[in-house]
Amino acid sequence: MKLRIPKALAVGAVAAAMLATTTGCGGILGGGGSSSSADTGPIKIAAVIPLSGSSAPTGVYMKNGMQMAVDEINAKGGVLGRQLSLDLEDGACDPTQAAAAANKAVSNGALISVGGYCSGATLPTLPIFNKANIPMIIPAANSQELVNQKLPNVFMINGTGTQQAAAAVKFMVKDGVKSVALVDDNTSYSKDIATETKKDLASDGSVKVALSTSVTAGESDYSSAVHDIMGANPDMLYWTGYYQEGGLIINQLKAAGFKGKIMVADGSVDPSLVKIAGSANAEGVFATMTQTPDTIKGAETWIANYNKKFSSAPGPYSTQSYDAVRVAAEAITQAKGTKGADVIKALEGINGFQIFSGPLKFTPEHTLSSGGFQILVVQGGKFVLKDALS
Amino acid sequence: MTQLVWNGLFVGSFYALIALGYSMVYGIIKLLNFAHGDIYMLGAFVGFAMLTSVGVIPASMSITALLIVLLLCMVVTGGIGVGIEYLAYRPLRNSPRLAVLITAVGASFTLEYGVSAVAGPNPKVFPVRLEGDSFTVLGARISVPQIVLMVIAVLLMLGLNAYIQRTSMGRAMRAIALDTKGSLLMGINVNKVITWTFFIGSALAGAAGVMAGAYYGKIDFLMGFIIGLKAFTAAVIGGIGNIKGAMLGGLLLGLLEAFGSQWLGGEWRDVFTFGVLIAFLTLKPTGLLGERVTERV
Repeated sequence: MKLRIPKALAVGAVAAAMLATTTGCGGILGGGGSSSSADTGPIKIAAVIPLSGSSAPTGVYMKNGMQMAVDEINAKGGVLGRQLSLDLEDGACDPTQAAAAANKAVSNGALISVGGYCSGATLPTLPIFNKANIPMIIPAANSQELVNQKLPNVFMINGTGTQQAAAAVKFMVKDGVKSVALVDDNTSYSKDIATETKKDLASDGSVKVALSTSVTAGESDYSSAVHDIMGANPDMLYWTGYYQEGGLIINQLKAAGFKGKIMVADGSVDPSLVKIAGSANAEGVFATMTQTPDTIKGAETWIANYNKKFSSAPGPYSTQSYDAVRVAAEAITQAKGTKGADVIKALEGINGFQIFSGPLKFTPEHTLSSGGFQILVVQGGKFVLKDALS
Repeated sequence: MTQLVWNGLFVGSFYALIALGYSMVYGIIKLLNFAHGDIYMLGAFVGFAMLTSVGVIPASMSITALLIVLLLCMVVTGGIGVGIEYLAYRPLRNSPRLAVLITAVGASFTLEYGVSAVAGPNPKVFPVRLEGDSFTVLGARISVPQIVLMVIAVLLMLGLNAYIQRTSMGRAMRAIALDTKGSLLMGINVNKVITWTFFIGSALAGAAGVMAGAYYGKIDFLMGFIIGLKAFTAAVIGGIGNIKGAMLGGLLLGLLEAFGSQWLGGEWRDVFTFGVLIAFLTLKPTGLLGERVTERV
């Protein structure tokens, strides 16, 4: 991936240059701004999210959440008198495709971006939007690597991997776990949480890491990982990957007679995890997760509206995606325009804007000041709140 | 230790079933059929569609129902394999090898995203799941469903071997593998034999797909990709074009993975496995059982 970035940068630079030329022309020709999309007409909001591939189910939750916010804002007259229009591009949770999608969004005239689910695929889109001076509000992707890029246009409204790891460790200590096995799927997001958890556990000292290993995503048979976990015999397994593999690993671990506790990270929090693992096997599985619609107090009306609009229930990241669009609208309103630098300044200045995870204020690193991670547990086949950790 | 061997053999038997199709097709028309892994995926989805359309199946009947579905799926996926050959490969039979290879990659994507468009991108949970008691043999935990699946896989492989060795169609396949032009001159209907080869290879992959769905419980439209690569590796290790080699290669690959992951840790398993593939290709490109002038298939 490191090798790919310069190429993406180059492509991004070309796209940005093209964009600059076209808007420049529009400015000269339009004068009053009849054809230029930068000043009048709908405000283009881009979102690179997975609409195909194995993460596509979550992409639908995100898409609906965004659409809902856009429709609500437009119904109230839009932002600065202009309507919002959503430009969804398929990143397929794949770095190459996501970079291409981001370039397409930039050349489509995006003014702000609210996409980003898989951290590995979101990473190469950061410099592309940065070159084009487009602010990004990332609703879901939360690897520490995204923060480490230190790009001024990147804001994250999901808790980071570091914050998630801290929550996981806090719960392990609280729950009296003495040894833990960390298993990731070798993706940027998953590895990040596992590494941060290991670091936190080392500094805490009361929980031993019995095993730390990786599996290959997209397979069906995880018997070798199961064998390693059984051999290490930990009190708890912490799986930091996504739900498809998570479900299979839980199923195969239980079939092998694993008696310890199991905890999964937020990428595994999905109703499908329970189905794949089998509801008896998934019962009692813990999860580190930011607020989902089900666990937020007072979200019932919102859920009902969502149900009515899309004839399906909201899922993970529906709320964050909804909030990303609202935060974008708020920032543009505050900035009194869509100029990248102004919007970034407005985002940095936001203080107390209500989103699902609480009043919003960005840290100097452009992350949430508190991750808002809580512990869920599977009960009766559903994820319910176990411990808010506050 | 015995657990590792058992795990390796069990996964390996899946690889072997799929590797057979790769090897047979390569043996006869020298084509790497990259769509083969997706036939495995298709088998799982066809089985899923059949089982869900039947409705609720009582637990006592699940094995019987599964066997019937297995056979039906083999017919359907075999037919699809024949269709792909007819539409995508036959018109290119005399084109450069590269053209057919690219078409095979195209066929693979067509199947993957066709299924995604029809069945949706979400993973599906198989309606029937093989569950059973497990017991311990020499320190290895073995479950009844694993034994059932192993037995089915071994029966299919033995059946295929007998078919190739004993029947006139099998003899024709071996003849074409040796010398296509010569076979044509000897009055063998080459097209018909190639059609049969695709049917059998695809039926075996379809069977593996249904078995994987019933055992692991989850299917999705990309499930054939990695296992297709692994089966290809197995076929190369065994000596591509050689039927017994494909079986041996599959089992060996399963064992390599189990032990590689044990010795080097899970994150190094694929590095180890595919490192072995590279080593084989450079040191012994004909594989374990392949010979330079071999009776292919």
